[in-house]
Amino acid sequence: MEQTYFHAIDLINDKCKGCMHCVRTCPTEALRIRNGRVHLDDKRCVDCGKCIAVCPFGAIVASSDPLSIRNDYKFKVAIITAPYAGQFTEDIEYSTTIKSLYHLGFDRVIEESMATNIMTKMKRHYIANNKDKKPILSSNCPAVIRLIQVRFPSLLPNIFHVEAPMSVLSMYYREKYSAIEGLDPSEIGVFVAVPCIAQVAAVHQPQGAYKRNLDGAIAIRDVYNAVRNDLADIRNLDYDFITHENGLSRALSGQEADEVGNDQIRTIAVSGIENVIDILQKVEDHILDQYDYIVLRSCTSGCVGGILNVENPFIARSRIQTLIRASKHHDHELDPMFSSYLNGEFDVLPLEPRSIMQLDTDMKQAIIKMKKLNEIKEQLPSIDCGACGAPNCQALAEDIVQGKACIDDCVILLKKNKNKKSD
Amino acid sequence: MAVYCNISEDAQQKYEHFTKEKPNPEMSIEYKVGHKDFVNSGKASSEIKLMLKRLGVNPEILRKVAVASYEAEINVTAHSLGGDIICDIYLDCVHIKFIDNGPGIKNLEKALEPGWSTADDLVREMGFGAGLGLPNIKKNADVMHIESAENQSTILQIIVFY
Repeated sequence: MEQTYFHAIDLINDKCKGCMHCVRTCPTEALRIRNGRVHLDDKRCVDCGKCIAVCPFGAIVASSDPLSIRNDYKFKVAIITAPYAGQFTEDIEYSTTIKSLYHLGFDRVIEESMATNIMTKMKRHYIANNKDKKPILSSNCPAVIRLIQVRFPSLLPNIFHVEAPMSVLSMYYREKYSAIEGLDPSEIGVFVAVPCIAQVAAVHQPQGAYKRNLDGAIAIRDVYNAVRNDLADIRNLDYDFITHENGLSRALSGQEADEVGNDQIRTIAVSGIENVIDILQKVEDHILDQYDYIVLRSCTSGCVGGILNVENPFIARSRIQTLIRASKHHDHELDPMFSSYLNGEFDVLPLEPRSIMQLDTDMKQAIIKMKKLNEIKEQLPSIDCGACGAPNCQALAEDIVQGKACIDDCVILLKKNKNKKSD
Repeated sequence: MAVYCNISEDAQQKYEHFTKEKPNPEMSIEYKVGHKDFVNSGKASSEIKLMLKRLGVNPEILRKVAVASYEAEINVTAHSLGGDIICDIYLDCVHIKFIDNGPGIKNLEKALEPGWSTADDLVREMGFGAGLGLPNIKKNADVMHIESAENQSTILQIIVFY
């Protein structure tokens, strides 16, 4: 049976006008317009969210779990990813935005930034012990992970094969609170406030073992809304907690690389999916073998660029940098867990390739298709007009070879042939 | 005319079979390489890699082809007056020929030593010319064959079996 893939994207057919914005933007050519409506190729989509951002008609929308999902659980834990801190204007203190979440009914609020320190330590150790796999590729961005699976399967062994901080946090706190509260682990709901749909997809369909063990993914913008509406009520309330601003660097693409890098570890930070594709091509060609660690994020500037945020990524970035500069370092109760990492408790299984590049599983057939593809390409006008519903002539040629389209879909060619006939 | 040929141990039998059968290539593609055109150098090997990926060639093999053909293409750019690349695709292997327009390799034996380089300043400024090109090709190709002489073209051929 063919595997189906979960995507955090909803297509609203009635709203689609067949305008091609999304088709041209998609970095994996997963979208087509057929009969005036958008279609998504389940296998190709990596949940980068670019199509949502460019759709002028609201026909492609992000899906995530509603805030009310917390009500189904006795003990509610919220994990807040780092970009959350960049969403609020500076007159609202960071600690206030955390306090509000307690007021909204979460029993415990965990900042993802708590794990930054121990993750940096793990990354350095991992890089030093996997010199044969140079360069190591960061695993934080689920869109990048999927991109590697579908377009660069030869680089799968280079991925940092360790649990994501949110899985480590959810495992740790689920266990801790089920013991303290005397509850079954299933009665504890662990939710994560996420900046992008790739994270939603990863929570709903974990790849290997990344981002497992979570009960829901709530959009940062939904949390933001609830918190903004709640602020007036919480001024005088007291909750006891400390915040971990110094770990917020996770939200920013360059900052993580700077933290992991040192004299022995040479790093590059890459953000924006086109740049990521270019760099992965170079890694594949072994041009970047002198680097030890490459931080890859699908969104501009890193996770602050995610589509489920509220604030512009550059403004959010500046705010987070201000918070980091003013922060103090706290040792965290997670820090001793480095030994669990050394014991292999955070190891994840290698990921399976999901190549979309292959024309056929049988090489002979693939060669036949390739020849046919080249012949069709010769006939097509090569102007990439998109009127056929495919992003470019090459993609249409491939669709024709795979039996998903026919040569008459090319309007230019059709017109030319008609003119010829009438002559 | 100096000739050098290296056949990796694992490929001996396959290569014998290949030379005996002399099959016709399933597909053949040609590329041009410009003299000192570093901007575009690497594009042909990138396209070859992409094509093999589309044919479903195993990632490990792909890596070998990518490295060997990239190094060879850079060699043509950096050390010759430009030339052609002919890529023949077979059902069980890929055969790539790099034919340049001279000026030929003076001392082929030396050129195969790791670290030996005749690269000029421009080439070194571009980050190439460390003298690892040919040894790297040898390491990654199942069959490597070079023929060259001073003031003549150099023909480098590589075969990688899937």
